[in-house]
Amino acid sequence: MAEALLDVTGLNKSFGALLATNDLSLSVRQGEVHALIGPNGAGKTTLVNQLSGDLIADSGRVVFRGQDITRLPAHHRARLGIARSFQITHIFENLTVAENLGLALLAGHGGNFHFFRHWRRAPRLTERLEEALTRFDLLQHRDQPAASLSHGEKRQLEVGMALVVDPQLLILDEPMAGLGPGGTVELTRIIRRLKGQLTILLVEHDMDVVFSLADRITVLVYGHDIATGTPAEIRGNALVRQAYLGEEG
Amino acid sequence: MTRKQLFLLLAAVLLSLLPAAAHLFGNPYLLSLASRILIYGLAAASLDLLLGYGAMISLGHAAYVGIGAYAAGILHLHLGAPGLAPALALVADSEVSGLVILPLAVLAASLAALVIGALCLRTTGMHFIMITLAFAQMLYYFFISLEAYGGDDGLSLLGRSKLPLVNLDNDTHFYYFCLFCLIAFLLLASRLVHSRFGLILRGTGDNERRARGLGVNTGRYRLALFTIAGGSAGLAGALLANHSEFVSPGLLNWTLSGELMVMVLLGGIGTLFGPVFGAAVYLLLEEGLNMYTEHWMAYMGPLLVLAVLFARNGLLPLLISGRKRHG
Amino acid sequence: MLLFCEQLLNGLQLGVTLFLMSAGLTLVFGIMQVINLAHGSFYMIGAYVGATVALHSGSFLLAIFAALGASWLAGCLAEALILRHLYRRRHLDQVLATFGVILFCNEMTRIIWGRQPLFMDIPAALSGSVQILPGLPYPIYRLAVLAVGLAVAVLLWLIFTRTRIGMQVRAGAVNREMVAALGVNITLLYTLVFGCGAMLAGLAGLMAGPILAVEPGMGESILILTFVVIVIGGIGSVRGAFIGAVLVGLVDTLGRAFLPLLLRLLLSPATADSVAASLASMAIYIFMALVLVIKPKGLFPAHH
Ligand SMILES: Nc1ncnc2c1ncn2[C@@H]1O[C@H](COP(=O)(O)OP(=O)(O)OP(=O)(O)O)[C@@H](O)[C@H]1O
Ligand SMILES: [Mg+2]
Repeated sequence: MAEALLDVTGLNKSFGALLATNDLSLSVRQGEVHALIGPNGAGKTTLVNQLSGDLIADSGRVVFRGQDITRLPAHHRARLGIARSFQITHIFENLTVAENLGLALLAGHGGNFHFFRHWRRAPRLTERLEEALTRFDLLQHRDQPAASLSHGEKRQLEVGMALVVDPQLLILDEPMAGLGPGGTVELTRIIRRLKGQLTILLVEHDMDVVFSLADRITVLVYGHDIATGTPAEIRGNALVRQAYLGEEG
Repeated sequence: MTRKQLFLLLAAVLLSLLPAAAHLFGNPYLLSLASRILIYGLAAASLDLLLGYGAMISLGHAAYVGIGAYAAGILHLHLGAPGLAPALALVADSEVSGLVILPLAVLAASLAALVIGALCLRTTGMHFIMITLAFAQMLYYFFISLEAYGGDDGLSLLGRSKLPLVNLDNDTHFYYFCLFCLIAFLLLASRLVHSRFGLILRGTGDNERRARGLGVNTGRYRLALFTIAGGSAGLAGALLANHSEFVSPGLLNWTLSGELMVMVLLGGIGTLFGPVFGAAVYLLLEEGLNMYTEHWMAYMGPLLVLAVLFARNGLLPLLISGRKRHG
Repeated sequence: MLLFCEQLLNGLQLGVTLFLMSAGLTLVFGIMQVINLAHGSFYMIGAYVGATVALHSGSFLLAIFAALGASWLAGCLAEALILRHLYRRRHLDQVLATFGVILFCNEMTRIIWGRQPLFMDIPAALSGSVQILPGLPYPIYRLAVLAVGLAVAVLLWLIFTRTRIGMQVRAGAVNREMVAALGVNITLLYTLVFGCGAMLAGLAGLMAGPILAVEPGMGESILILTFVVIVIGGIGSVRGAFIGAVLVGLVDTLGRAFLPLLLRLLLSPATADSVAASLASMAIYIFMALVLVIKPKGLFPAHH
């Protein structure tokens, strides 16, 4: 059995009276694509936020590569190798596409207190930036402000920024949202190609995508993990069918 | 783009010919006003670094102008006094007091910005606005209570700083020196905003959460920018002290902070050069309206409200872009 | 000891004045997420209108109604004409537009009332002083200010805990979506909150009239103190505003009164006095910095 890259135990987070994360435990193994599914409002994004450091858990533990990161600030976790994309697009709207990706490439390394030379001339940046622009099909928009991209292109940039940093753990929060069939196929292909190179925690509503990509699936309902297993196990799980899959027929 | 360059070129030519024109018209006041515009332009452009690039709405920028001015004034006083610390006296005698005074004024303002920024940057949004204002007000009261340096009445400098090559006591020289400082600042700042530091900072201002998610320790970058902007404002303050040969707590008053913000808005936020233009418009408007009515602020106020409601991007972008891009 | 009691009362009195200013403003910040610099202008309008009416009619009661009405009207007008269009705009626009409002209001008072400060008499019924402790006479008027401030605090507390509209407003300050979900007429609610906030500021201005000079720009010094109160108390929290206001009032008053005495124990009298003067004028800001270091969102942060 592969060792766990990320270990979550007994996590709790409440917003006022609402328990958005409720005694949640989850283990993501090195190298797998781990899907996280659950009905709307199940607390998937809230969990992602606690993994990325955008929210701090009330109680419980998050361990990444053997290190307790439960209370670590977001930028620390990013430097440890956790990258995320956001469900609601979080790109730098007023920066150009190239600047968006360039910032992503530069940010993780720190030492950016260079005040004079143009950022594009940072060492070993040019090729990686070109490669990233090509890979996400954004080359022809490179000098355009990100705000002017179409919705699909914005989503591509959103996921692209999380990907270019070569993370250990990539967390994608509904990357396909609003992509359309063509985009979904394209992104599925990109993720499939990444399989094995890095570990992915994938939050997704599209069941076809989930069942075709995931090695294991965790089902969240009311902030609690009600089941974890292979796609086949999850399909066959009565509890899951009843609580979740059943709703969709 | 070419239109912008043309505009800047035109501005540079006009600005460098201005002293000659002032002579021609035999109107020395014009030159003094122009120097003042350049200095306020410098202060406004430094505020634009915060507002337009760092998305930090500081309502206390006058504090750093004031600290720069007071540092210059106080140093000037001591360097001029006979029998003070020998090392300083040496400098004072060697006719290059400005080489000590100006850098120290910048340093003092930077340090103040560093300390105050570290406190203010613990917060964001509306808190940040109120707190920058509050700390500026604290310094305002501090200088009012500073009886040793004039307190409420302010401090007279008796002459300007001494520099090699230029004679600041000569108004034309002083004007060119201000122009030099302004252009140097603008060149450095426009490099800064496109450097690695600038890129990260603009990203942080745009979407802090994303920047943190990419591994940026956003607070450090913001504090660095706050310090740089404060130091630049300090330079403007030191120049202002030399310009009027007088400093008073009024410089730290929050209305100056507000006025600097208005200049940035008028000229265009996030354009660096725009705020200089904004400073010119504001000060000329003040002079112009002042000629007709002592109650010019009764017009300025509503004008400002209208500008905010209807000309969101400022005047300069409106002028130089003409039509919409690639129209 | 007597001095201490007197200064304590002075501090409390400054505190309740600040509370009147900050109660409305903190709600405006919390509910509408709009930064409003013009709140000090309502204070000034209250003071000017009150002083003028009192001067001409000789009736303090009439002055109260006039001041409250004028500041309420000014608040509603400012909201409907300007601030309403700024709710969805960035904070920078809000700052600039309300700065414009301040310039206008200050200049208008100069045009109407001139540059000289106005002085307002203490109403006859409240003049003189009472012995609150043996050997400690205290002006009745200041006691009355204190009483009014406390009464308003109690009234607000009753409104916010006992009435439907009050609870909605409070909920809105903590969580904006909540107000919309409750199906309240938001436009009306906003105008109402804004107008009432302005009215409280006007009341504060009116009551300060006989104590301070009524002059253009008087709103801004109190506005900045109000900001300090709100930062300390936490945006959107009326309870925070009350506690913050009392703390700021006490720190400021007691600092001015006792820092010189304290420092004289350590330093020569001349140095002590000048250092104390500087320190006392900065005391509340230093206090604010301390609160910030410990609780960046204020003592009673609202959850957003
Ligand atoms: N900042 C917050 N404050 C209060 N409640 C919140 C906050 N964030 C999330 N919630 C609530 O927590 C619950 C879980 O939300 P979350 O966004 O994590 O769900 P989700 O599983 O990602 O849903 P979706 O599939 O719609 O993305 C929801 O009921 C939501 O309303
Ligand atoms: Mg979600």
